[in-house]
Amino acid sequence: MSELRRAMGLRTVVSTSTGLAFAAIEYLAVAGLLSVVAGRLAWLAVLVAGLVVLLAWAFFSELCGIFPTAAAIRRYMQAAMDDRVALTVTLTYMTTIVLVIAADAYIVGSAVADALSQPRWLITVWIAGLLLLATWTNLRGVTVAGRVQDAATTVIVLVTAGIAVLAVTETPTAAAQLADAGRSTSVAGFVQAVALGILLFSAFEWVTTNAEEVREHHHIPRGMLVSLGILASVCALLAYGMGHLLSAEEASTAFPQLALGRHVLGDTGYAVMVVITVLTALNTFNGGFITASRFVYATAREGSLPPSMARLNDNLVPWVPVLVLAGTSLVVSVLVALTGAWQVLLGVGAALESMIFAVAGYCVWALRRRQPHVHRPFRMALAGPLGLLGTVLFGLLGLVASVTVEDELDLRPLGIILGMAALAAVYVLTVVPRLQAAARARAVAAPRRRPVTVPEEA
Amino acid sequence: MATTAEIRAGLDDYRQRCNDNARLRKMLRSWTRVVHFTATDTDAAFTVLIDKGEIVDVQERAQGAPDLVISATSEDLADMFWGDLNPAQKYLTGEIAVKGSAEDVMRVDAMASLIWID
Repeated sequence: MSELRRAMGLRTVVSTSTGLAFAAIEYLAVAGLLSVVAGRLAWLAVLVAGLVVLLAWAFFSELCGIFPTAAAIRRYMQAAMDDRVALTVTLTYMTTIVLVIAADAYIVGSAVADALSQPRWLITVWIAGLLLLATWTNLRGVTVAGRVQDAATTVIVLVTAGIAVLAVTETPTAAAQLADAGRSTSVAGFVQAVALGILLFSAFEWVTTNAEEVREHHHIPRGMLVSLGILASVCALLAYGMGHLLSAEEASTAFPQLALGRHVLGDTGYAVMVVITVLTALNTFNGGFITASRFVYATAREGSLPPSMARLNDNLVPWVPVLVLAGTSLVVSVLVALTGAWQVLLGVGAALESMIFAVAGYCVWALRRRQPHVHRPFRMALAGPLGLLGTVLFGLLGLVASVTVEDELDLRPLGIILGMAALAAVYVLTVVPRLQAAARARAVAAPRRRPVTVPEEA
Repeated sequence: MATTAEIRAGLDDYRQRCNDNARLRKMLRSWTRVVHFTATDTDAAFTVLIDKGEIVDVQERAQGAPDLVISATSEDLADMFWGDLNPAQKYLTGEIAVKGSAEDVMRVDAMASLIWID
Protein backbone atom coordinates (compact mmCIF):
# COMPACT_ATOMS: atom_id res chain seq x y z
CA MET A 1 0.00 0.00 0.00
CA SER A 2 1.24 3.52 -0.85
CA GLU A 3 2.80 5.68 1.83
CA LEU A 4 0.41 8.42 2.97
CA ARG A 5 1.29 12.05 2.31
CA ARG A 6 0.20 13.05 5.81
CA ALA A 7 0.38 10.52 8.59
CA MET A 8 0.38 10.65 12.37
CA GLY A 9 3.71 10.16 14.06
CA LEU A 10 4.39 8.85 17.55
CA ARG A 11 4.39 12.33 19.13
CA THR A 12 0.90 13.09 17.82
CA VAL A 13 -0.35 9.68 18.97
CA VAL A 14 0.95 10.44 22.48
CA SER A 15 -0.56 13.93 22.59
CA THR A 16 -3.88 12.71 21.16
CA SER A 17 -4.16 9.87 23.66
CA THR A 18 -3.13 12.12 26.57
CA GLY A 19 -5.31 15.03 25.40
CA LEU A 20 -8.40 12.82 25.09
CA ALA A 21 -7.91 11.57 28.64
CA PHE A 22 -6.84 14.84 30.26
CA ALA A 23 -10.14 16.69 30.50
CA ALA A 24 -11.11 19.09 33.29
CA ILE A 25 -12.82 16.15 35.00
CA GLU A 26 -9.27 14.89 35.72
CA TYR A 27 -8.86 17.50 38.48
CA LEU A 28 -12.23 16.67 39.95
CA ALA A 29 -11.51 12.94 39.79
CA VAL A 30 -8.18 13.37 41.62
CA ALA A 31 -9.90 15.44 44.32
CA GLY A 32 -12.64 12.80 44.39
CA LEU A 33 -10.05 10.22 45.48
CA LEU A 34 -9.48 12.31 48.60
CA SER A 35 -13.07 11.73 49.62
CA VAL A 36 -12.45 7.99 49.91
CA VAL A 37 -8.80 7.68 50.95
CA ALA A 38 -6.16 9.70 52.80
CA GLY A 39 -3.96 12.04 50.78
CA ARG A 40 -0.80 10.05 51.57
CA LEU A 41 -2.45 7.01 49.94
CA ALA A 42 -4.28 8.73 47.07
CA TRP A 43 -1.14 9.03 44.91
CA LEU A 44 -0.48 5.33 45.43
CA ALA A 45 -4.05 4.50 44.40
CA VAL A 46 -3.45 6.46 41.17
CA LEU A 47 -0.30 4.47 40.42
CA VAL A 48 -2.00 1.15 41.22
CA ALA A 49 -4.92 2.13 38.95
CA GLY A 50 -2.33 2.96 36.27
CA LEU A 51 -0.73 -0.47 36.67
CA VAL A 52 -4.13 -2.16 36.39
CA VAL A 53 -4.92 -0.09 33.28
CA LEU A 54 -1.77 -1.55 31.70
CA LEU A 55 -3.88 -4.68 31.22
CA ALA A 56 -6.41 -2.62 29.27
CA TRP A 57 -3.54 -1.13 27.27
CA ALA A 58 -2.48 -4.63 26.23
CA PHE A 59 -6.08 -5.53 25.31
CA PHE A 60 -6.57 -2.46 23.12
CA SER A 61 -3.14 -2.86 21.54
CA GLU A 62 -3.92 -6.42 20.47
CA LEU A 63 -7.46 -5.59 19.28
CA CYS A 64 -6.30 -2.49 17.40
CA GLY A 65 -3.62 -4.60 15.70
CA ILE A 66 -6.22 -7.06 14.43
CA PHE A 67 -8.69 -4.31 13.46
CA PRO A 68 -6.67 -1.20 12.58
CA THR A 69 -9.71 0.91 11.80
CA ALA A 70 -11.81 3.70 13.26
CA ALA A 71 -14.63 1.15 13.41
CA ALA A 72 -12.54 -1.23 15.55
CA ILE A 73 -14.89 -1.21 18.54
CA ARG A 74 -17.77 -2.42 16.34
CA ARG A 75 -15.57 -4.94 14.53
CA TYR A 76 -14.01 -6.70 17.51
CA MET A 77 -17.22 -6.80 19.50
CA GLN A 78 -19.14 -8.17 16.51
CA ALA A 79 -16.47 -10.84 16.11
CA ALA A 80 -16.42 -11.79 19.79
CA MET A 81 -20.09 -11.69 20.80
CA ASP A 82 -23.68 -11.46 19.62
CA ASP A 83 -24.13 -8.27 17.59
CA ARG A 84 -27.13 -7.14 19.64
CA VAL A 85 -25.08 -7.35 22.84
CA ALA A 86 -22.17 -5.61 21.07
CA LEU A 87 -24.38 -2.72 19.93
CA THR A 88 -25.96 -2.37 23.39
CA VAL A 89 -22.53 -2.20 25.03
CA THR A 90 -21.25 0.25 22.42
CA LEU A 91 -24.22 2.61 22.79
CA THR A 92 -23.94 2.51 26.60
CA TYR A 93 -20.20 3.17 26.37
CA MET A 94 -20.76 6.18 24.11
CA THR A 95 -22.61 7.88 26.96
CA THR A 96 -19.23 8.38 28.66
CA ILE A 97 -18.57 11.07 26.05
CA VAL A 98 -21.76 12.85 27.12
CA LEU A 99 -20.64 12.57 30.74
CA VAL A 100 -17.18 13.97 30.02
CA ILE A 101 -18.56 16.87 27.99
CA ALA A 102 -21.19 17.57 30.65
CA ALA A 103 -18.60 17.39 33.44
CA ASP A 104 -16.25 19.72 31.58
CA ALA A 105 -19.00 22.23 30.92
CA TYR A 106 -19.89 22.16 34.61
CA ILE A 107 -16.27 22.44 35.82
CA VAL A 108 -15.26 25.17 33.37
CA GLY A 109 -18.51 27.07 33.98
CA SER A 110 -17.98 26.87 37.75
CA ALA A 111 -14.32 27.91 37.48
CA VAL A 112 -15.10 30.92 35.30
CA ALA A 113 -17.97 32.00 37.57
CA ASP A 114 -15.64 31.71 40.58
CA ALA A 115 -12.87 33.62 38.83
CA LEU A 116 -15.31 36.46 38.07
CA SER A 117 -16.76 36.32 41.61
CA GLN A 118 -20.21 35.64 40.19
CA PRO A 119 -23.09 34.01 42.10
CA ARG A 120 -23.66 30.25 41.83
CA TRP A 121 -26.79 30.55 39.71
CA LEU A 122 -24.72 32.09 36.92
CA ILE A 123 -22.86 28.77 36.56
CA THR A 124 -25.79 27.39 34.55
CA VAL A 125 -25.62 30.41 32.26
CA TRP A 126 -21.90 29.80 31.70
CA ILE A 127 -22.55 26.11 31.04
CA ALA A 128 -25.24 26.93 28.49
CA GLY A 129 -22.98 29.55 26.90
CA LEU A 130 -20.02 27.16 26.65
CA LEU A 131 -22.10 24.38 25.14
CA LEU A 132 -23.74 26.83 22.75
CA LEU A 133 -20.32 28.02 21.60
CA ALA A 134 -19.08 24.42 21.22
CA THR A 135 -22.21 23.50 19.24
CA TRP A 136 -21.95 26.52 16.98
CA THR A 137 -18.27 25.96 16.17
CA ASN A 138 -18.91 22.27 15.54
CA LEU A 139 -21.86 22.96 13.24
CA ARG A 140 -19.71 25.47 11.36
CA GLY A 141 -17.23 22.66 10.80
CA VAL A 142 -14.52 24.44 12.78
CA THR A 143 -12.02 21.91 14.12
CA VAL A 144 -8.93 22.54 16.16
CA ALA A 145 -5.93 21.76 14.02
CA GLY A 146 -3.79 18.81 15.12
CA ARG A 147 -0.83 21.04 15.93
CA VAL A 148 -2.93 23.38 18.09
CA GLN A 149 -4.33 20.37 19.93
CA ASP A 150 -0.79 19.01 20.43
CA ALA A 151 0.35 22.36 21.81
CA ALA A 152 -2.70 22.71 24.08
CA THR A 153 -2.20 19.23 25.53
CA THR A 154 1.49 19.87 26.13
CA VAL A 155 0.78 23.16 27.93
CA ILE A 156 -2.02 21.60 30.05
CA VAL A 157 0.09 18.64 31.12
CA LEU A 158 3.30 20.61 31.75
CA VAL A 159 1.62 23.40 33.72
CA THR A 160 -0.42 20.91 35.77
CA ALA A 161 2.71 18.87 36.48
CA GLY A 162 4.61 22.05 37.43
CA ILE A 163 1.88 23.20 39.82
CA ALA A 164 1.70 19.68 41.29
CA VAL A 165 5.49 19.51 41.82
CA LEU A 166 5.43 22.89 43.55
CA ALA A 167 2.55 21.68 45.72
CA VAL A 168 4.46 18.55 46.73
CA THR A 169 7.45 20.62 47.85
CA GLU A 170 5.33 22.99 49.98
CA THR A 171 4.89 22.51 53.74
CA PRO A 172 1.52 20.86 54.36
CA THR A 173 -1.20 23.26 55.48
CA ALA A 174 -2.90 22.79 58.84
CA ALA A 175 -6.30 22.57 57.12
CA ALA A 176 -5.03 19.80 54.82
CA GLN A 177 -3.58 17.89 57.76
CA LEU A 178 -6.86 18.24 59.60
CA ALA A 179 -8.83 17.03 56.59
CA ASP A 180 -6.45 14.12 56.05
CA ALA A 181 -6.73 12.99 59.64
CA GLY A 182 -10.39 12.19 59.06
CA ARG A 183 -9.89 10.31 55.81
CA SER A 184 -9.88 6.58 55.38
CA THR A 185 -6.68 4.53 55.45
CA SER A 186 -8.56 1.23 55.19
CA VAL A 187 -8.09 -1.38 52.48
CA ALA A 188 -11.71 -0.86 51.42
CA GLY A 189 -11.09 2.87 50.96
CA PHE A 190 -7.93 2.16 48.98
CA VAL A 191 -9.73 -0.30 46.68
CA GLN A 192 -12.47 2.25 46.13
CA ALA A 193 -9.83 4.87 45.28
CA VAL A 194 -8.28 2.49 42.74
CA ALA A 195 -11.73 1.89 41.22
CA LEU A 196 -12.35 5.64 40.92
CA GLY A 197 -8.77 6.09 39.69
CA ILE A 198 -9.65 4.18 36.52
CA LEU A 199 -11.53 7.31 35.43
CA LEU A 200 -8.22 9.23 35.30
CA PHE A 201 -7.21 7.11 32.30
CA SER A 202 -10.62 7.26 30.66
CA ALA A 203 -10.50 7.71 26.87
CA PHE A 204 -6.74 7.10 26.48
CA GLU A 205 -7.79 4.23 24.18
CA TRP A 206 -9.82 6.44 21.81
CA VAL A 207 -6.62 7.10 19.92
CA THR A 208 -7.05 3.59 18.46
CA THR A 209 -9.67 5.16 16.17
CA ASN A 210 -6.74 6.88 14.46
CA ALA A 211 -5.19 3.52 13.49
CA GLU A 212 -5.82 4.19 9.78
CA GLU A 213 -3.71 7.34 9.76
CA VAL A 214 -0.59 6.42 11.71
CA ARG A 215 2.75 6.16 9.97
CA GLU A 216 3.65 2.87 11.66
CA HIS A 217 1.23 0.51 13.31
CA HIS A 218 3.34 0.16 16.46
CA HIS A 219 2.95 3.89 17.12
CA ILE A 220 -0.50 3.24 18.60
CA PRO A 221 0.56 0.78 21.36
CA ARG A 222 3.73 2.75 22.09
CA GLY A 223 1.91 6.07 22.12
CA MET A 224 -0.79 4.77 24.46
CA LEU A 225 1.87 3.39 26.80
CA VAL A 226 3.71 6.72 26.97
CA SER A 227 0.39 8.47 27.49
CA LEU A 228 -0.48 6.17 30.42
CA GLY A 229 2.91 6.93 31.96
CA ILE A 230 2.30 10.68 31.64
CA LEU A 231 -1.23 10.47 33.03
CA ALA A 232 -0.19 8.27 35.97
CA SER A 233 2.76 10.52 36.88
CA VAL A 234 0.90 13.83 36.64
CA CYS A 235 -2.22 12.55 38.43
CA ALA A 236 -0.18 10.91 41.20
CA LEU A 237 1.68 14.20 41.79
CA LEU A 238 -1.59 16.08 41.69
CA ALA A 239 -3.18 13.68 44.21
CA TYR A 240 -0.25 14.06 46.56
CA GLY A 241 -0.20 17.84 46.15
CA MET A 242 -3.93 18.22 46.74
CA GLY A 243 -3.80 15.99 49.82
CA HIS A 244 -0.85 18.08 51.01
CA LEU A 245 -2.38 21.54 50.70
CA LEU A 246 -6.15 21.54 50.21
CA SER A 247 -8.64 21.81 53.02
CA ALA A 248 -11.68 19.52 52.99
CA GLU A 249 -13.78 22.40 51.69
CA GLU A 250 -11.34 23.25 48.87
CA ALA A 251 -11.09 19.61 47.80
CA SER A 252 -14.86 19.30 47.59
CA THR A 253 -15.47 22.20 45.19
CA ALA A 254 -15.92 21.84 41.44
CA PHE A 255 -12.54 23.49 40.86
CA PRO A 256 -9.93 22.14 43.35
CA GLN A 257 -7.17 22.90 40.83
CA LEU A 258 -7.77 26.64 41.24
CA ALA A 259 -7.24 26.41 44.99
CA LEU A 260 -4.09 24.37 44.40
CA GLY A 261 -2.77 27.03 42.02
CA ARG A 262 -3.45 29.73 44.61
CA HIS A 263 -1.66 27.76 47.36
CA VAL A 264 1.56 27.45 45.36
CA LEU A 265 1.71 30.68 43.35
CA GLY A 266 -0.86 32.98 44.92
CA ASP A 267 -3.22 34.90 42.61
CA THR A 268 -0.96 34.18 39.63
CA GLY A 269 -1.28 30.43 40.22
CA TYR A 270 -5.04 30.79 40.52
CA ALA A 271 -5.23 32.72 37.23
CA VAL A 272 -2.93 30.23 35.49
CA MET A 273 -5.15 27.33 36.54
CA VAL A 274 -8.28 29.17 35.34
CA VAL A 275 -6.65 29.49 31.91
CA ILE A 276 -5.54 25.84 31.96
CA THR A 277 -9.06 24.71 32.92
CA VAL A 278 -10.56 26.65 30.03
CA LEU A 279 -7.89 25.17 27.75
CA THR A 280 -8.93 21.61 28.67
CA ALA A 281 -12.39 22.43 27.32
CA LEU A 282 -10.82 23.12 23.92
CA ASN A 283 -9.71 19.50 23.66
CA THR A 284 -12.87 18.03 25.17
CA PHE A 285 -15.36 20.05 23.17
CA ASN A 286 -13.40 19.56 19.96
CA GLY A 287 -12.46 15.88 20.39
CA GLY A 288 -15.61 14.82 22.25
CA PHE A 289 -18.09 16.36 19.82
CA ILE A 290 -16.21 15.11 16.78
CA THR A 291 -15.69 11.56 18.09
CA ALA A 292 -19.27 11.11 19.25
CA SER A 293 -21.02 12.76 16.31
CA ARG A 294 -18.91 10.87 13.73
CA PHE A 295 -19.54 7.59 15.53
CA VAL A 296 -23.28 8.24 15.52
CA TYR A 297 -23.05 9.17 11.82
CA ALA A 298 -21.25 5.90 10.98
CA THR A 299 -23.73 3.85 13.04
CA ALA A 300 -26.63 5.53 11.24
CA ARG A 301 -25.02 4.90 7.85
CA GLU A 302 -24.57 1.28 8.88
CA GLY A 303 -28.34 1.14 9.51
CA SER A 304 -28.35 0.76 13.30
CA LEU A 305 -29.54 4.31 14.06
CA PRO A 306 -32.26 6.36 12.31
CA PRO A 307 -31.15 7.79 8.92
CA SER A 308 -31.74 11.32 10.25
CA MET A 309 -28.61 10.86 12.38
CA ALA A 310 -26.55 10.69 9.16
CA ARG A 311 -27.86 13.98 7.74
CA LEU A 312 -25.07 16.41 6.94
CA ASN A 313 -25.17 20.18 6.83
CA ASP A 314 -23.32 22.25 4.23
CA ASN A 315 -20.15 22.07 6.36
CA LEU A 316 -20.27 18.26 6.21
CA VAL A 317 -21.17 18.00 9.86
CA PRO A 318 -23.75 15.44 11.05
CA TRP A 319 -25.86 18.14 12.65
CA VAL A 320 -28.50 16.01 14.34
CA PRO A 321 -25.98 14.08 16.50
CA VAL A 322 -24.22 17.35 17.39
CA LEU A 323 -27.49 18.90 18.59
CA VAL A 324 -28.52 15.75 20.48
CA LEU A 325 -25.11 15.56 22.12
CA ALA A 326 -25.17 19.23 23.12
CA GLY A 327 -28.73 19.00 24.44
CA THR A 328 -28.04 15.88 26.51
CA SER A 329 -24.80 17.31 27.87
CA LEU A 330 -26.60 20.53 28.81
CA VAL A 331 -29.28 18.65 30.74
CA VAL A 332 -26.70 16.51 32.58
CA SER A 333 -24.39 19.41 33.44
CA VAL A 334 -27.22 21.66 34.64
CA LEU A 335 -28.54 18.79 36.77
CA VAL A 336 -25.08 18.38 38.29
CA ALA A 337 -24.79 22.14 38.83
CA LEU A 338 -28.17 22.29 40.57
CA THR A 339 -27.66 19.20 42.73
CA GLY A 340 -23.87 19.43 43.22
CA ALA A 341 -23.82 15.66 42.75
CA TRP A 342 -20.57 15.52 40.78
CA GLN A 343 -19.37 12.55 42.83
CA VAL A 344 -22.18 10.52 41.22
CA LEU A 345 -20.89 11.57 37.81
CA LEU A 346 -17.39 10.36 38.74
CA GLY A 347 -18.79 6.99 39.87
CA VAL A 348 -20.74 6.55 36.63
CA GLY A 349 -17.73 7.53 34.51
CA ALA A 350 -15.31 5.24 36.35
CA ALA A 351 -17.73 2.31 36.22
CA LEU A 352 -18.44 2.76 32.50
CA GLU A 353 -14.73 2.93 31.72
CA SER A 354 -14.07 -0.21 33.77
CA MET A 355 -16.93 -1.87 31.92
CA ILE A 356 -15.38 -1.21 28.51
CA PHE A 357 -11.97 -2.41 29.77
CA ALA A 358 -13.67 -5.61 30.98
CA VAL A 359 -15.37 -6.04 27.59
CA ALA A 360 -12.03 -5.53 25.83
CA GLY A 361 -10.50 -8.28 28.00
CA TYR A 362 -13.33 -10.61 27.10
CA CYS A 363 -12.91 -9.81 23.38
CA VAL A 364 -9.17 -10.60 23.52
CA TRP A 365 -9.92 -13.92 25.22
CA ALA A 366 -12.79 -14.81 22.86
CA LEU A 367 -10.91 -13.87 19.69
CA ARG A 368 -7.88 -15.95 20.70
CA ARG A 369 -10.31 -18.90 20.74
CA ARG A 370 -12.43 -18.00 17.70
CA GLN A 371 -9.72 -16.60 15.44
CA PRO A 372 -6.46 -18.15 16.68
CA HIS A 373 -4.65 -17.83 13.35
CA VAL A 374 -5.44 -14.19 12.58
CA HIS A 375 -2.31 -12.05 12.24
CA ARG A 376 -1.73 -10.06 15.42
CA PRO A 377 0.88 -7.29 15.00
CA PHE A 378 0.71 -6.83 18.77
CA ARG A 379 0.42 -10.12 20.61
CA MET A 380 -0.01 -9.84 24.37
CA ALA A 381 1.53 -12.55 26.52
CA LEU A 382 -0.82 -14.95 28.35
CA ALA A 383 -3.79 -13.44 26.52
CA GLY A 384 -6.17 -16.22 27.57
CA PRO A 385 -5.77 -16.08 31.35
CA LEU A 386 -5.02 -12.34 31.42
CA GLY A 387 -8.06 -11.64 29.24
CA LEU A 388 -10.30 -13.42 31.69
CA LEU A 389 -8.50 -11.96 34.71
CA GLY A 390 -8.90 -8.47 33.26
CA THR A 391 -12.59 -9.06 32.61
CA VAL A 392 -13.16 -10.11 36.23
CA LEU A 393 -10.87 -7.44 37.71
CA PHE A 394 -12.33 -4.53 35.75
CA GLY A 395 -15.81 -5.93 36.31
CA LEU A 396 -15.26 -5.85 40.07
CA LEU A 397 -13.67 -2.39 40.00
CA GLY A 398 -16.59 -1.15 37.92
CA LEU A 399 -19.00 -2.61 40.43
CA VAL A 400 -17.17 -0.96 43.36
CA ALA A 401 -17.20 2.41 41.55
CA SER A 402 -20.88 2.09 40.73
CA VAL A 403 -22.15 1.35 44.26
CA THR A 404 -20.21 3.90 46.30
CA VAL A 405 -20.29 7.67 46.36
CA GLU A 406 -17.65 9.33 48.53
CA ASP A 407 -17.17 6.62 51.15
CA GLU A 408 -20.81 5.59 51.47
CA LEU A 409 -22.83 2.85 49.85
CA ASP A 410 -24.85 4.58 47.16
CA LEU A 411 -26.58 2.84 44.29
CA ARG A 412 -27.24 5.93 42.17
CA PRO A 413 -24.30 5.37 39.73
CA LEU A 414 -25.32 1.74 39.24
CA GLY A 415 -28.95 2.78 38.75
CA ILE A 416 -27.96 5.35 36.10
CA ILE A 417 -25.79 2.82 34.24
CA LEU A 418 -28.42 0.09 34.36
CA GLY A 419 -31.02 2.59 33.19
CA MET A 420 -28.87 3.62 30.23
CA ALA A 421 -28.03 -0.01 29.40
CA ALA A 422 -31.74 -0.95 29.57
CA LEU A 423 -32.65 1.89 27.22
CA ALA A 424 -29.89 0.82 24.82
CA ALA A 425 -31.02 -2.83 24.98
CA VAL A 426 -34.67 -1.96 24.35
CA TYR A 427 -33.60 0.19 21.41
CA VAL A 428 -31.38 -2.56 19.97
CA LEU A 429 -34.05 -5.25 20.38
CA THR A 430 -37.05 -3.29 19.14
CA VAL A 431 -35.99 -0.40 16.90
CA VAL A 432 -32.83 -1.71 15.19
CA PRO A 433 -34.57 -4.75 13.58
CA ARG A 434 -37.19 -2.40 12.09
CA LEU A 435 -34.52 -0.01 10.77
CA GLN A 436 -32.60 -2.90 9.25
CA ALA A 437 -35.74 -4.37 7.67
CA ALA A 438 -36.59 -0.99 6.15
CA ALA A 439 -33.05 -0.64 4.79
CA ARG A 440 -33.22 -4.14 3.27
CA ALA A 441 -36.60 -3.32 1.67
CA ARG A 442 -35.18 -0.11 0.20
CA ALA A 443 -32.17 -2.01 -1.16
CA VAL A 444 -34.38 -4.67 -2.79
CA ALA A 445 -36.69 -2.04 -4.29
CA ALA A 446 -33.87 0.10 -5.69
CA PRO A 447 -32.99 -0.69 -9.30
CA ARG A 448 -29.43 -1.87 -9.89
CA ARG A 449 -27.55 0.96 -11.57
CA ARG A 450 -24.42 -0.83 -12.67
CA PRO A 451 -24.80 -1.93 -16.29
CA VAL A 452 -24.74 -5.66 -16.89
CA THR A 453 -21.73 -6.56 -18.96
CA VAL A 454 -21.89 -9.63 -21.14
CA PRO A 455 -18.56 -11.43 -21.27
CA GLU A 456 -17.16 -11.65 -24.79
CA GLU A 457 -17.13 -15.12 -26.27
CA ALA A 458 -13.71 -16.57 -26.72
CA MET B 1 -14.65 -10.18 -10.55
CA ALA B 2 -15.00 -6.78 -12.26
CA THR B 3 -12.62 -5.76 -15.00
CA THR B 4 -10.58 -2.59 -14.90
CA ALA B 5 -12.80 -1.19 -17.69
CA GLU B 6 -15.95 -1.85 -15.63
CA ILE B 7 -14.52 -0.09 -12.60
CA ARG B 8 -13.35 2.76 -14.81
CA ALA B 9 -16.83 3.14 -16.31
CA GLY B 10 -18.29 3.32 -12.81
CA LEU B 11 -15.65 5.79 -11.70
CA ASP B 12 -16.29 8.05 -14.70
CA ASP B 13 -20.02 8.08 -13.92
CA TYR B 14 -19.24 8.74 -10.24
CA ARG B 15 -16.97 11.64 -11.20
CA GLN B 16 -19.65 13.18 -13.37
CA ARG B 17 -22.29 12.88 -10.66
CA CYS B 18 -20.00 14.33 -7.98
CA ASN B 19 -18.98 17.26 -10.14
CA ASP B 20 -22.59 17.97 -11.15
CA ASN B 21 -23.84 17.98 -7.57
CA ALA B 22 -23.88 21.62 -6.47
CA ARG B 23 -24.50 20.85 -2.79
CA LEU B 24 -21.65 18.37 -2.65
CA ARG B 25 -19.32 20.84 -4.36
CA LYS B 26 -20.27 23.44 -1.77
CA MET B 27 -19.68 21.00 1.07
CA LEU B 28 -16.25 20.01 -0.24
CA ARG B 29 -15.28 23.54 -1.32
CA SER B 30 -12.03 23.55 0.65
CA TRP B 31 -11.13 19.89 0.16
CA THR B 32 -8.12 19.05 -2.00
CA ARG B 33 -6.90 15.48 -1.86
CA VAL B 34 -5.24 12.62 -3.75
CA VAL B 35 -7.20 9.39 -3.33
CA HIS B 36 -6.07 5.94 -4.42
CA PHE B 37 -8.65 3.22 -5.07
CA THR B 38 -7.09 -0.23 -5.29
CA ALA B 39 -8.69 -3.59 -6.03
CA THR B 40 -7.58 -6.36 -3.73
CA ASP B 41 -8.32 -9.22 -6.13
CA THR B 42 -7.00 -7.75 -9.40
CA ASP B 43 -4.22 -5.34 -10.26
CA ALA B 44 -6.69 -2.51 -10.94
CA ALA B 45 -5.78 0.77 -9.24
CA PHE B 46 -6.92 4.36 -9.78
CA THR B 47 -5.75 7.75 -8.65
CA VAL B 48 -8.45 10.37 -8.18
CA LEU B 49 -7.37 13.98 -7.86
CA ILE B 50 -9.80 16.24 -6.03
CA ASP B 51 -9.25 19.98 -6.14
CA LYS B 52 -11.51 22.16 -3.99
CA GLY B 53 -14.26 19.58 -4.13
CA GLU B 54 -14.04 18.93 -7.87
CA ILE B 55 -12.73 15.64 -9.22
CA VAL B 56 -10.31 17.09 -11.73
CA ASP B 57 -8.56 13.94 -12.90
CA VAL B 58 -8.79 10.17 -12.78
CA GLN B 59 -5.72 8.14 -13.65
CA GLU B 60 -5.38 4.42 -13.99
CA ARG B 61 -2.60 3.17 -11.65
CA ALA B 62 -1.74 4.41 -8.19
CA GLN B 63 0.35 7.52 -8.74
CA GLY B 64 1.96 9.91 -6.30
CA ALA B 65 1.66 10.01 -2.52
CA PRO B 66 -2.03 9.73 -1.53
CA ASP B 67 -3.94 11.34 1.30
CA LEU B 68 -6.35 8.45 1.35
CA VAL B 69 -6.17 4.84 0.13
CA ILE B 70 -9.37 2.83 -0.29
CA SER B 71 -9.08 -0.91 -0.96
CA ALA B 72 -11.83 -3.38 -1.79
CA THR B 73 -12.55 -6.21 -4.18
CA SER B 74 -13.01 -5.15 -7.80
CA GLU B 75 -16.72 -6.05 -7.58
CA ASP B 76 -17.21 -3.87 -4.51
CA LEU B 77 -15.33 -0.97 -6.09
CA ALA B 78 -17.49 -1.14 -9.21
CA ASP B 79 -20.70 -1.45 -7.16
CA MET B 80 -19.60 1.42 -4.93
CA PHE B 81 -19.03 3.77 -7.86
CA TRP B 82 -22.42 2.86 -9.31
CA GLY B 83 -24.10 3.40 -5.95
CA ASP B 84 -25.21 -0.23 -5.68
CA LEU B 85 -23.73 -0.77 -2.24
CA ASN B 86 -23.51 1.14 1.00
CA PRO B 87 -19.79 1.83 1.52
CA ALA B 88 -20.33 2.56 5.24
CA GLN B 89 -21.72 -0.94 5.80
CA LYS B 90 -18.84 -2.52 3.88
CA TYR B 91 -16.36 -0.40 5.82
CA LEU B 92 -17.83 -1.43 9.17
CA THR B 93 -17.59 -5.10 8.21
CA GLY B 94 -14.00 -4.67 7.04
CA GLU B 95 -14.73 -5.47 3.39
CA ILE B 96 -13.64 -1.99 2.43
CA ALA B 97 -10.31 -1.04 4.02
CA VAL B 98 -9.11 2.51 4.36
CA LYS B 99 -5.82 4.22 5.09
CA GLY B 100 -6.04 7.93 5.89
CA SER B 101 -7.68 10.37 8.26
CA ALA B 102 -11.16 9.70 9.63
CA GLU B 103 -12.33 13.11 8.36
CA ASP B 104 -11.30 12.23 4.80
CA VAL B 105 -12.99 8.83 5.08
CA MET B 106 -16.19 10.57 6.13
CA ARG B 107 -15.98 12.94 3.18
CA VAL B 108 -15.63 10.09 0.72
CA ASP B 109 -18.60 8.35 2.32
CA ALA B 110 -20.58 11.60 2.17
CA MET B 111 -19.81 11.86 -1.55
CA ALA B 112 -21.26 8.39 -2.14
CA SER B 113 -24.25 9.05 0.07
CA LEU B 114 -25.13 12.48 -1.35
CA ILE B 115 -24.90 11.80 -5.06
CA TRP B 116 -27.39 8.96 -4.75
CA ILE B 117 -29.76 10.71 -2.35
CA ASP B 118 -29.90 14.16 -3.98
